[in-house]
Amino acid sequence: MAQELRSINLVAPAFKGINTEDSPLAQDPSFAEIADNAVIDKRGRIAARKGYDLLTNETITVSDTTGFTVNETIVGSRSSASATVKAVTNGTQISIETSRAGIFSAGETITGGTSETTAAFTSVAPTGFALGSSAIRAIKEFRDNAGNSKIFSVGNNKIISGTTTLVDETPGSYTITADNWKMVDFNDSIYFFQRTYEPLVYSNTSGAVEKMSAVNGASLVADIPKANEVIAAYGRLWCADLLGDKSTVYWSDLLIGQNWTGGTSGSIDISKVWPDGYDEIVSLAAHNGLLIIFGQHSIVVYQGAEAPATMSLSDTVAGVGCVDRDTVQQTGTDVVFLSHTGLRSFGRTIQEKSMPISTLSRTITKDIIGLIQGETEFFRSIYSPEENFYLLTFVGQETTFCFDIRGTLEDGSFRVTRWPGSVFTAYERLTDGTLYAGTQYGIAEYKTYSDNGTRYRFKYFSPSLTFGDASRLKILKKIKPTLVGANSATVFMKFAYDFGTSYRTTEFTVGNQNPAFYNVNEFGENSNPLSEFTGGELTNQRSLNAVGSGTTVVVGLEADINGFALSLQEINLLALIGKMV
Amino acid sequence: MAVATDEGTIGGGGNGFFDFLGGLADYASQPGVLLPGILGGLLTGGAYEDLSDIGRQAILGTTVDGVRIPGAMELAETQLEQTQFRPFTVTTATGAGFGTRVDPVTGEVKTTMGLSPEEQAMQRQLLEGASGFFTGATTDPSVREQELYEQIRATTSPQERRERLGLEERLAAQGRLGVRTAQFGGTPEQLAMEQAQQTAMAQARLGAAQQARQEQLQQSQLGQQFLGMGYVPQQQLLAATQPSQQLAALQQQAQLEGAGLFGEAAMSGLEARLIAEQARANLMGQIGTGLLSGAFTPTQTSPVESAIGDFIRGIGG
Repeated sequence: MAQELRSINLVAPAFKGINTEDSPLAQDPSFAEIADNAVIDKRGRIAARKGYDLLTNETITVSDTTGFTVNETIVGSRSSASATVKAVTNGTQISIETSRAGIFSAGETITGGTSETTAAFTSVAPTGFALGSSAIRAIKEFRDNAGNSKIFSVGNNKIISGTTTLVDETPGSYTITADNWKMVDFNDSIYFFQRTYEPLVYSNTSGAVEKMSAVNGASLVADIPKANEVIAAYGRLWCADLLGDKSTVYWSDLLIGQNWTGGTSGSIDISKVWPDGYDEIVSLAAHNGLLIIFGQHSIVVYQGAEAPATMSLSDTVAGVGCVDRDTVQQTGTDVVFLSHTGLRSFGRTIQEKSMPISTLSRTITKDIIGLIQGETEFFRSIYSPEENFYLLTFVGQETTFCFDIRGTLEDGSFRVTRWPGSVFTAYERLTDGTLYAGTQYGIAEYKTYSDNGTRYRFKYFSPSLTFGDASRLKILKKIKPTLVGANSATVFMKFAYDFGTSYRTTEFTVGNQNPAFYNVNEFGENSNPLSEFTGGELTNQRSLNAVGSGTTVVVGLEADINGFALSLQEINLLALIGKMV
Repeated sequence: MAVATDEGTIGGGGNGFFDFLGGLADYASQPGVLLPGILGGLLTGGAYEDLSDIGRQAILGTTVDGVRIPGAMELAETQLEQTQFRPFTVTTATGAGFGTRVDPVTGEVKTTMGLSPEEQAMQRQLLEGASGFFTGATTDPSVREQELYEQIRATTSPQERRERLGLEERLAAQGRLGVRTAQFGGTPEQLAMEQAQQTAMAQARLGAAQQARQEQLQQSQLGQQFLGMGYVPQQQLLAATQPSQQLAALQQQAQLEGAGLFGEAAMSGLEARLIAEQARANLMGQIGTGLLSGAFTPTQTSPVESAIGDFIRGIGG
């Protein structure tokens, strides 16, 4: 007698994100073993993240006396969509990505594509590109009191402005050899701070980035703290982490960010306040009238920071500190930061006094600790209420963790997914909610579903599934994924038995499913009849055959995302339960 | 008539002078002239001599009936001796002494005063005290001011130290020990405490200055008092000599009066004698003068006068 197929329905698989901490066998199927380039979408499903659209154009001066020829190889790749040939002279070799065939001419705009089989060219020198071969290290939107906006970024040892065209705004006679700037927008000016460097200031009044000491009303250069950390809060600039002075917080005069010696400016040395004797200030944050001072392994909180001369110690936390200045993000109701044991929220840390349970990244603790310890460059983070995530990027390891901040799991941790191969080197959320990301190629916007025209791979792998009985053999018969979106995408369904890493793969392509909206005819404008239109989301269900058997099953799904969203609604597995092994 | 001439002659022409003398001799050799003349001359000369003796006796004294009557010189010496200052000494009940003496060489009257050892000790103590007070009064007041200030600070500093420590503990508990502000320097509480303590220090400084000057004034007053008290034994000695001096003055006055009386008495006797002698001499002189005038005056002689003349001439014989 044929045995009945048992159905195991993975509804909204991985909507709890990655879990690499618990045993795969004991895991809730709602977790994922792998969730790469994924987010938790608005319906709580695992879905492909958005891509980035490079805003920066690369303007290149091409030096060539003979002109480009067909199949001429331009070595290297800039992912900018276009380049403008402005001049033709002898020069060094450069690479641009273009599908252009033929001979370039001076002044010609090269419209790029994704093809890398382009013309070879041996005498090109890039000039006029402020970023050079470096990456954007920080981005900041400056909005003046009139609401005007200007984007500043740093990289290639320069202060840069603009998005489509990067303009070097570095003051004359000001030498920069590092890009670890932090920028804050404060009272109609934007301030640039980096350890050992005299802070820089830009305002629309001056119209240029200038040294702080050159600003009217500024303190003397020697009196201006050359700090690595700065925040704007409670009507002042607050800074800390100076060379040789790791325990003093300085605050500027009220509303005068360049005055550090007069008015109500001041400082506080907390070297006698650290709860465990010694620490070094890493970061500052302001929240709910509090000044939060993050050390490397402790936190000191002052209340009444609106009047810093009388602010007093409110709380201290020992054993929990902040890894890096750029991991601290305010979420409106709390402050999220990266500690040495994972992501934490300030509110809960204070409430629970650094108990391990308070970590927000409990499902990937070991992973994140390994990345922290292995990071050789720097950290970047961003909180986007529009996208409902907190991104944490380990730039040197090209890994980004995406924490969904809409809710927490039973253990209080955020749902997390991973973005491997991340090229993001900086983030900035604009006032209108737009998310900018810095890359090696300039400034990009987090949107669409391709990385500047390049596809990227979405991956989901379930934990090892036992179908409720780890002792019995499972024989997969059918795999029925339900996908939302994924227009024209090629999807690879994978499965493996018994913790194996050799996956069996079955592939299918989602058809072209351009949605037909009201009054936009599926078959063309003004066709007759105007009868067919669809909803906003297209759903695709497939039934794939599976083979093999094992006591545990891992199911995965991979898809190249190239212009369309993809959400994994559910995966229905049909299996025979075999003998006990 | 005889007149004096340049030649020193007296007469009237020719052998005038010798003529005159011859004439005078002739005249005088007349018995009615010679005897009275001689007698009158003797009486007059005797009276003259007596007057001379009276003057001498008035100066040098005489002896009457075996009683020595001192003359003016002797009387003066006697009175000088009688009115000579007589030294005296005064000794007070506390042992101080006041003495007078006359320098035998210069005749100056000298006084000596001496206090008893106890008084001397007291006087020394008082004067030394006065000296000390005056030294204090003339010392730079800033030195004393500093001493007083440090004394005041010594009393207030412990409390200030406790308050400072208390504030330090509060600031430490509040994690605010390291606060430095451009507005207050440190924390507002530190500024307030520092202001209060600086005010207290300023008040202490002011109080010390006032106290130093007050003490300086007191030193001066005490010095004056001690100085005055230092001379009290002497003043008391002098005061004690006042009755003695009055007694001495009375004695001197009595002495002077006695000497005066003595002198007056002695001189009155002498004067009486001198007057008597003078009267006697005058009488003899008048007699002599009468005889002479009678002898040389060619006048009618009364029987009485003749008898007298005869008598005189008989005496002259």
